[in-house]
Amino acid sequence: MAFLKEIKTNDQHIHKLAGIVGSARSILYKKEDLLAYDCDGFTIHKHLPRAVVFPKNTEEVAAVVKYCHENDLPFLARGAGTGLSGGAIPLNNEIIISMVKMKRLLRVDLENRRAVVEPGFVNLKLTNSISERGYYYAPDPSSQYCCTIGGNVAENAGGAHCLKYGVTTNHILGLEVVLPNGEIIEIGKDGVADEPGYDLLGLLTGSEGTLGIVTKITVRILKNPEGKQTVLAYFDNVADGSQAVSDIISSGIVPAALEMMDKTAIEGVEAAAFPVGHPKDIEAVLLIEVDGITAGIDEQIEQILTVCRSRNVREVKVARDEAERGRWWANRKTGFGAMGAISPDYLVQDGVIPRSKLPEVLARINQISEESGLRIANIFHAGDGNLHPLVLFDARVPGETEKALEAGSLCLKVCADVGGTITGEHGVGIEKREEMRFVFTEEEIAAQTDVREVFNPKNLLNAGKLFPSPGRCVEIKKEMKASAAL
Amino acid sequence: MVTAELLADLKAIFPELKMAGEESVTIFPKKEEEIAKVMAYCNDSKTTVSVVGGGTKQGWGTPAKTQIQLSLEDYTGIVEHTPGDMTVTVKAGTTFKELQGFLAQHSQKLALDPSWPAYATVGGVIASNDSGPKRLGYGIARDSVIGLRTVYPDGRIIRSGGRVVKNVAGYDMNKLFIGSMGTLGIISEVTFKLRPLPKCESLALLSFPEGNLEEVRRFAIKLLDSMMEPVALELLNPFMAGNMADRNCYTLAISFEDVETSVRYQEQYIKANQPARTSLDILTDEEAKAFWNKLYTAAPCGLDSLEEGTGSNKETAAAMKIGIVNLKVLDVIRECQLLSDGGQVAAEAHGGLGTGICQVVLRGSDDQVAAGIMHLRKFAVQEGGYAVVKHLPEVLGGKVDAWGDKPSYFPLMEGIKAKMDPNRILNPNAFIGGI
Repeated sequence: MAFLKEIKTNDQHIHKLAGIVGSARSILYKKEDLLAYDCDGFTIHKHLPRAVVFPKNTEEVAAVVKYCHENDLPFLARGAGTGLSGGAIPLNNEIIISMVKMKRLLRVDLENRRAVVEPGFVNLKLTNSISERGYYYAPDPSSQYCCTIGGNVAENAGGAHCLKYGVTTNHILGLEVVLPNGEIIEIGKDGVADEPGYDLLGLLTGSEGTLGIVTKITVRILKNPEGKQTVLAYFDNVADGSQAVSDIISSGIVPAALEMMDKTAIEGVEAAAFPVGHPKDIEAVLLIEVDGITAGIDEQIEQILTVCRSRNVREVKVARDEAERGRWWANRKTGFGAMGAISPDYLVQDGVIPRSKLPEVLARINQISEESGLRIANIFHAGDGNLHPLVLFDARVPGETEKALEAGSLCLKVCADVGGTITGEHGVGIEKREEMRFVFTEEEIAAQTDVREVFNPKNLLNAGKLFPSPGRCVEIKKEMKASAAL
Repeated sequence: MVTAELLADLKAIFPELKMAGEESVTIFPKKEEEIAKVMAYCNDSKTTVSVVGGGTKQGWGTPAKTQIQLSLEDYTGIVEHTPGDMTVTVKAGTTFKELQGFLAQHSQKLALDPSWPAYATVGGVIASNDSGPKRLGYGIARDSVIGLRTVYPDGRIIRSGGRVVKNVAGYDMNKLFIGSMGTLGIISEVTFKLRPLPKCESLALLSFPEGNLEEVRRFAIKLLDSMMEPVALELLNPFMAGNMADRNCYTLAISFEDVETSVRYQEQYIKANQPARTSLDILTDEEAKAFWNKLYTAAPCGLDSLEEGTGSNKETAAAMKIGIVNLKVLDVIRECQLLSDGGQVAAEAHGGLGTGICQVVLRGSDDQVAAGIMHLRKFAVQEGGYAVVKHLPEVLGGKVDAWGDKPSYFPLMEGIKAKMDPNRILNPNAFIGGI
């Protein structure tokens, strides 16, 4: 193959890959260009990729993968890079296969409630494309305005409304996948349900880009609910707020969303771009949404108000209109970034606990905060027990990053100890590899890596993610600390 | 090894275990470690083994004739139920009905509606991924299962998932076992997320006496495009509607479950939009429940297969599950009715217009039923779907392939099977492609 003249490197693989993706503009290989790809939404760990390629279609993805497979080059796929656990960080100097050029909405079939997208298609764009006709795509991670559906599949992304409607895996009907050897397979042909065979659709969703690269996705779309009402409730103590959450759920209501923020989180969101005037001195705010048939909503809202009052709510109000509802949600959905207004740096955690353990867990997180000397804000999907403790720290202060990492890990230990898990929607990635041991035995982890071997026997695809390396525990912690200190 | 020897051998190794043996040895473990011990023995001695719960799925797919059968009928009970968390952990041998009865005391339910609920066990429902019409509103096993304990063929006990409703730690291994027909491991405990029992339930039966499926399609599309929230939208062919509800015409069964004001409002919508020349009946609570219970027990299952045969006055019955793009269910249901009308085989069929899943019962002579299965499979595949046989009487065993063609990714399935059950002791050849 002739070298592409405009490519100035002696790395022959770069020339070959540029040939596969068709032009020099579809590949990055200079250090200054690669810097933007040295991490994703998890910024504590940074590694440079060998190159970034931008394929335009499935065949190009397959050809790049096949080339990597044959030449033993590590590689991984990347969407918008919003992942919070480091799943797209090129730990092994990978070739990054960026999916952003594969961003078409291929098909909408409202009558059969499905849509087909390419992996680089942005989550919110799907809902925007079908909302005029009264439909939407349910999974709504906070980053939905920029994250891609391919990335959502890799991480099995959740969102505020998954309490009632489920997470990404509950909405994926079919996938076209490039396997780590370059072979293309189709699972869930035409989006038909329950295809006979092992449920590889379910296995691949949430496999964090370690089993294959998704190149086409058939998703389920839903009809908008007829009505929707949103309630904001302020509590003077966290225990009352938590108890209200339990009471609402046990009263037989299935809210569309049930969110909670604590005092530190409220301080953050009120200091940031979308303040809504939450009182500064309250301990907890609940944001509760009920949707469905309009005729049935009023009595559920009435029931929710009664529950809140019985739990000593200071103030509770129902959104007057869509504009007010929108402001409340903007305030909540930008909650992570808002921490930037009150702290130079923050670390997001993602534990899940049985709802009934909420007061106990919050008390223990509080204790971790006191012992570490770092403030911890809590923003969480209270309805499904998914906590996001945000550890606030200042990376410029020597030792504080390590302290923050440790405090985050301790929060996850608390979640695991009460019967919960270490991640509800952000994924394990690099960040929580070691914490996998909080919830799984060595044998159980081996049962999972056995499955990886079937798909990814050479382990060239996104190696070093998701699972702790046996016996490398100490080494990795050291590496994390060294890298964090940079 | 002949059975008597195997039985003697097993009795010597497991003196405490209840077992019986005629054609093969059946073992009745009471504890998970007993399951694990038996599995490890089987794995070491390369003895084949299959698992059975209530026996309703003994004719599903290509049941393996194994040397040992593990019956979970003594391995039952609720392990943990936390009403406030709306989760329950249950042993696999517990019947679906018993679990629902227990949960109902707390105004909760497992949101699945499988067939033969009084006999089907939780483990069997999960291993076969059985589902009913209400999957439109509530999803299927993969949407409700949040954790499993599985005994691997080598006796390891492996947990997957957890006990919380949201969890992305590691691979979603639960999914591998759901619908795997007992070929990868023995599910010993299942943790589910639950739903509240609906405060009100009703069922609209909308019948189209003139048999115009185009009208059914128009109505279904309108309803699906409205903001109503039916939990089931099932089309019954005339033959089935006749048997179920005494009306020999295409009938839609539209189910609503919510607070009462919402249910009544949705009934009103149906009344207001009822197409001309149709008849409408609204069944409330108990009547609606009775209708669905009748439907859940309409198909033949493994429990009655022994009574069937090729004798002159005994007919053969088979049950199929057909998956297809949602609205093509209309075409499948019509095809079933054409089979019936042509007198080739009696076909009772229903299918979800919002789910794409049809359930068909074929009755007739062996040859008629076999031909009916082939015909419907060919039709489904042409239309982009698949057809599997959920209940295949023994007499048809050699004549009909229960699963149809292998998927393109079959080598991955073989790879998974080889990792998890390298000696192929678990339910060998029972699943698609002889896996």
